[in-house]
Amino acid sequence: MSLAGRMAIASQHVRALTVEAGEFPHLAQQFGVSGVPRTIVNRGGAFVGALPEQQFVITVLRLAGVDLDVRPQDGAAAS
Amino acid sequence: MGIIDDRTMDQVRARFGERLQGPVELRLYMRPSSGRLILPAGYGCPTCGEAQELVEALRDAAPEKIALEVIDITSTQAPVAEVPTITLAAPGGEPRIAWQGLPAGYEFATLIDAIERVSRDEPGLSAASLEALAQVGEDLEVMVFATPT
Repeated sequence: MSLAGRMAIASQHVRALTVEAGEFPHLAQQFGVSGVPRTIVNRGGAFVGALPEQQFVITVLRLAGVDLDVRPQDGAAAS
Repeated sequence: MGIIDDRTMDQVRARFGERLQGPVELRLYMRPSSGRLILPAGYGCPTCGEAQELVEALRDAAPEKIALEVIDITSTQAPVAEVPTITLAAPGGEPRIAWQGLPAGYEFATLIDAIERVSRDEPGLSAASLEALAQVGEDLEVMVFATPT
């Protein structure tokens, strides 16, 4: 299962939506999808490619503006 | 042969028999299929028929645990803009996991896994990730664009 979905099981604040890029080209264009998987948080910040679990979770939460009480040991970077 | 071949269905039935614990609710939002006819955005739905076949097959693989509701958005107000959309939730819970488009190929495997994890309330994340998620105080959406392969 996608990490986004697993986050949604763990937290009632998280919604996970997987979009088939080829079926919705207007959305892919709207959200600037040039490669998959492309992860977009709150229809704003985004990153491309698969990340290891903790890095994925922390990158998503940082893009959502969550003030995390963790050390930046993961090297997560968002583009 | 349906959208899912017999051998795969046998595997899905066996997995669900072993792994499903609590009940889950699947919803499919759809429009009546337009077949292969290409219509402007907002009309028809080339993959809704296949999506319906797929979720009905999953429901039939474990009907005592999986409830399915099929909602035609042309005859009722629906909280989704695009079809087909499949949502997954524990009974009575707000659906917070959804797929837009036909979950084929790899996404079919993630749908199966998601049904099992929701049924078991088992995110399968590390303690560090769960700790980070516990600090989330506002709703957020994670949208992932994928392809079927």
